[in-house]
Amino acid sequence: MYRYDEFDHQLVGERVTQFRGQVERRVSGELSEDAFKPLRLMNGVYLQLHAYMLRVAIPYGTLSSKQLRMQAHIARKYDRGYGHFTTRQNIQFNWPALDKIPDLLEELATVEMHAIQTSGNCIRNVTADQYAGAIDNEVEDPRIISEIIRQWSTFHPEFTYLPRKFKIAVTGHDNDRAAIKLHDIGIVIKQNELGDIGYEIHVGGGQGRTPFIAKKMADFVPKAQLLAYLEAVMRVYNRLGRRDNSYKARIKIMVHETGEEEMRRLIEAEFAKIDASQMLSVPQAEVDRISAYFANPAFAALPATSAAMETAQKQDADFARWVRANIVPHKQDGYAIVNISLKPIGGVPGDATDVQMEAVADLAERYSFDEIRVTHEQNLVLPHVRLDDLKTVYDELQAHELATANLGLISDTIACPGLDYCNLANARSIPLAQEISERFADLDRQYDIGELKIKISGCINACGHHHVGHIGILGVDKKGTEFYQISLGGSADENASIGTITGRAFTEETIVDAIETVVTTYKDMRQDGERFIDTYRRVGLDPFKERLYA
Amino acid sequence: MHKDYQLVKDGALCQDEWHYSDDETALSDAPTIISLTRLKAEAEVLRARNAKLGVRLLADGNGKTKLGEDVAELAPYLDMLSLVSIDFPTYRNGRGFSAARILREQFNFDGELRASGDVLHDQWAMMRRCGITAFELAPTVSLEVFTKAMDELSEAYQPASDDQRGALWKRHA
Repeated sequence: MYRYDEFDHQLVGERVTQFRGQVERRVSGELSEDAFKPLRLMNGVYLQLHAYMLRVAIPYGTLSSKQLRMQAHIARKYDRGYGHFTTRQNIQFNWPALDKIPDLLEELATVEMHAIQTSGNCIRNVTADQYAGAIDNEVEDPRIISEIIRQWSTFHPEFTYLPRKFKIAVTGHDNDRAAIKLHDIGIVIKQNELGDIGYEIHVGGGQGRTPFIAKKMADFVPKAQLLAYLEAVMRVYNRLGRRDNSYKARIKIMVHETGEEEMRRLIEAEFAKIDASQMLSVPQAEVDRISAYFANPAFAALPATSAAMETAQKQDADFARWVRANIVPHKQDGYAIVNISLKPIGGVPGDATDVQMEAVADLAERYSFDEIRVTHEQNLVLPHVRLDDLKTVYDELQAHELATANLGLISDTIACPGLDYCNLANARSIPLAQEISERFADLDRQYDIGELKIKISGCINACGHHHVGHIGILGVDKKGTEFYQISLGGSADENASIGTITGRAFTEETIVDAIETVVTTYKDMRQDGERFIDTYRRVGLDPFKERLYA
Repeated sequence: MHKDYQLVKDGALCQDEWHYSDDETALSDAPTIISLTRLKAEAEVLRARNAKLGVRLLADGNGKTKLGEDVAELAPYLDMLSLVSIDFPTYRNGRGFSAARILREQFNFDGELRASGDVLHDQWAMMRRCGITAFELAPTVSLEVFTKAMDELSEAYQPASDDQRGALWKRHA
């Protein structure tokens, strides 16, 4: 894991002092809420429906046990005993008092974390594949370049007041778990025929009220030129992106209106100028220094299978189901990637209590080389667990209600905070996610349905990723009543697609039945081995529409 | 027009030798800041004028997207210009940060770059990093507050138009 050096410590520390001054000026009345707003946003502080909300960055989704314990401590001391993991590898605290936030940030800095640029129209927290360094067939650990991007983008003097927010995601694997095509810039690490490593760059993806899949702008940007290329994209956007209408201000709209070819030409012209100076070519010694932090942990040489695990699977059917759903093969023999679902049946997607966070931190320390990952699907991961330890880890997770065996299944829903917390929302998301998970609570039924991603947003801003849900649900408000629109066929992976709306919206009373109808329709039509998305892509929207509106 | 500010240049309060002119008034020999429209229209005549000339780059333009004037339009006139005043119509509009860097790093402009308009306390230091040397501050801001704000962050992570190399490079200098 990356560790701060004196530069990082100094800058993050100075930022806390700076923000303390700003909060004091706000509390004393010297700063109006209006003048304070851009300052607090740059430090992750939002004003929500009921209170200030603080969003803490978990760069590229990696946490140490000590860092996760600090989140538990913050939840207890400054909040109401829980935190909410978001779809962008951040954690949010919903109830901190404004005048205590500088203290909170100071404590956070002691474990090398911050809330810098988690909001505002700047380059946000860089996200990455949660299985980085653990999954087989990875070209390179995406966290190395993500950390370089984190540093380059932090307090960037030119790109902190962009037309709109800007999100970057990185994957080093063919299977995209970071939804890179739905980011302003998505980066895929590639190896060319010569064996050199470089980057495929996608620009202009995004969700919100106008969803777009990113366009591939460059096939292969050599390693040394990545920051120059990124700076070129940012400068073209900052110079020519629209500022007249905040709904048209994201780079996705610019790419769409400018056209892919012209956009590519603009970026390449700027890139040529920036790259000529060589100023942004990171020294190899620095790349090596950062890479060393992400080297493999000291894996033991183990057999590929574990007798202890196999025996436990035979004796404990629940454990066997959890292994089947939540365990992913590791690149190292004898190890596994453990997914911890934060979607208990009837629970709030992405929430974890202080006690749960401490339990996960303890498990990571004992069984996963002190590492935890956070996923954009709002779950946690223990990336490096021995097969021999799986049953012990499972039992402890079970004791903390963290062993729900539903990864990628219908109850593993993404949901935004919705009308329960958010001042933009039109409808509640969390209660609907809870109802759906209760309706489909039976795990055997969930396995039978197979991989099915439901994503729920409480408004058109799409924080719950409804556009890319296999089944997407969008909350809309009609004359003060909450309605829910269904879309089908979205996907956030390497075959990203935007879902299609089925037709008129459903009421709060009928929406869960409608979801059940969609599921039944799929089950009636699926052919051998087809997942929901496969069947949908084969048969299209019509059969679903017919049944939904019969 | 537009003189409700105090000028801080290279870190010190100073008398502004410049004034802004509209597009109609005949130009004197005093240092004058004109619009880009006028610069383009009267370039030939202005080139012959034997006095300091500055131009104001407006960020709030006309047309469908109100994008504002583009720094690239200054390229043919750089030899005539001693000053570019970059307009920040609201603190949210950071377009001028790119204009400043392009002037310094790509056009090698070495005259005065000043920030005018709605500039936040916490943007001054970033503007300096982008090559801005003069600030039109609200009369209520004290030089002490300004100077302190400039030093709130002692290091930078990335290179820009100033001489800070950035941590990613400095670690191995």
